[in-house]
Amino acid sequence: MADIDLIRALASWALVHEMADEGWKAAVDRGMDPALSGSGEPRDVVDGISALVYREKERLKAELTAGDGLASTAATGQAAPGSEVLEELRFEVGEVRGRLESIETALDALIARLDARDAG
Amino acid sequence: MSSRTADIRRVALRHLLAAVVASRLGTVSATRRKRAFAVEMRRALEELGPTFVKLGQIASVRADVFGPETLEQLERLQDSVPSVPTRLIEEVFARAVGSPPGGVLDDFDRRPLAAASIAQVHRARLKRAYRPAWGAELPAEADVVVKVVRPGARETVRADVTAARDLLRRLPRVGPLARIDLAAVVDELEASIERELDMRAEGRSADRFAFDFREDPGVRIPRVVWPLTSRDVLVMEYLEGWPLSQLEDARAAGVDTRRLAEHGAAAFMRQVLVVGRYHADLHHANLLVTPDDRIAYLDFGMVGTLDAEERCAVGHLLAALVYRDAAAAVRWTERLGARVPPESVIPLSADLAALMARTLSAGDSDVRDFGTGLLTLLRKHRVSLGSGYALLIKALVTVEGVSRQLYPDIDMMAMAAPFVTTVLLEELLTADVLYQRAPAAVRAALRVLVEEGGP
Repeated sequence: MADIDLIRALASWALVHEMADEGWKAAVDRGMDPALSGSGEPRDVVDGISALVYREKERLKAELTAGDGLASTAATGQAAPGSEVLEELRFEVGEVRGRLESIETALDALIARLDARDAG
Repeated sequence: MSSRTADIRRVALRHLLAAVVASRLGTVSATRRKRAFAVEMRRALEELGPTFVKLGQIASVRADVFGPETLEQLERLQDSVPSVPTRLIEEVFARAVGSPPGGVLDDFDRRPLAAASIAQVHRARLKRAYRPAWGAELPAEADVVVKVVRPGARETVRADVTAARDLLRRLPRVGPLARIDLAAVVDELEASIERELDMRAEGRSADRFAFDFREDPGVRIPRVVWPLTSRDVLVMEYLEGWPLSQLEDARAAGVDTRRLAEHGAAAFMRQVLVVGRYHADLHHANLLVTPDDRIAYLDFGMVGTLDAEERCAVGHLLAALVYRDAAAAVRWTERLGARVPPESVIPLSADLAALMARTLSAGDSDVRDFGTGLLTLLRKHRVSLGSGYALLIKALVTVEGVSRQLYPDIDMMAMAAPFVTTVLLEELLTADVLYQRAPAAVRAALRVLVEEGGP
């Protein structure tokens, strides 16, 4: 049971039917923009689901159009699952590079201090 | 007894006597007496320096322990000291980076931008381009800030932590102190101070926030120049913008402060509920409104973290507040580590329901009033909070204060509603959860149908 992604299934259905219902669009808008919703009423639940399904639908559409996860990021501005992992990896590499650069600086400074002491 | 411990005792005694005099030997009203003691306590902490200012800041989130007079003073603690001569700062820079500022930076401004007890900040420009850990390259000639640990600061604060540990161990466990784990407070103080003394920790937090908000065009995080950063020096991008004290200028320049307030509040909810890492010190000096309509976060010295389970509990707690369900709020408060005496659960729920009705009415919620009221209730019902939860409440109240300054009519609970709904739905709408809960939901629906269809 856990393998079924309900939001993905609803998004597929929404994509196939390209829902153009005005009520649904309004619910998506409210669910996406906190300023438009948030009355604390049961309607927020529908708005929240609508926004989730819409986001997943757009992601699915981009994946199908572009054929791979990286291109879908460019198309939607939102990372597809595969590219999220790549981005995380790229960040970690950047972080490690930063640490190494900082360590190298500290090491160079230490060597310069030792050289100065020896020269003195 | 070390000379520093003796110093601390002298300062504490002097301010205690000043408080006794200010309260006319305790003959004034209780409120004025408490205020006089709170004022002198703040002055004593400020006089004792950065370690004790930090100790006060840690205590300032414990509104479940201290009264409003004390908290008001603790929140006003200032860590601003006279600057040290720039020559000494340049020496620290040269020792840390292997070159004087002029060797790797242009236009190093000898007048400090800011001076606090741990570090001093100067402005400069990059001689060449640098690649940050995340984001676009910082070009040559980009403006940067250079934050340098003051000479001798490390030794002073470490000696202070030792003295504070010694003194707190000797304090009598009476009054509010009986409800605080003082050893844990000193451990937290030590960890927090060590973090602030290592400029790389702040740089790493800034990088992480930049990555967390990579898809949010409304948020700016300064990029770190790692090849010029070390334990004692942090070089990061200088961001142009208006501090919150100059909002009128921002509005006159066409900045949409309402949109920024809403975006900032939503960004905070995202930090807490989705990312699990939040800026825990979003006071006025740590935020800028940029000319291109964005919010810039500065100073990442205090960051709160939440694991997946805590995020889920905070989501449920916020949902309970949004939908004004006091019993659920108490239940999730306990799940967040608060210890509620069993006999207090029912009266606390009743008091909380009344507080929610008063402060969180739809379309007109006041999180500050609610936060203050909640902490008063927790104190009244002798509920003990973990420091993480207290920090989160304080951060939420601070964010609301800042958001209201940008846009006075903002309603934080309304902002939170779609967010918590989405977070909870993402948790709920997995097939296995639905499979577990569907039978009960169908039975409940049938019951409603039968009851409504009945005579």
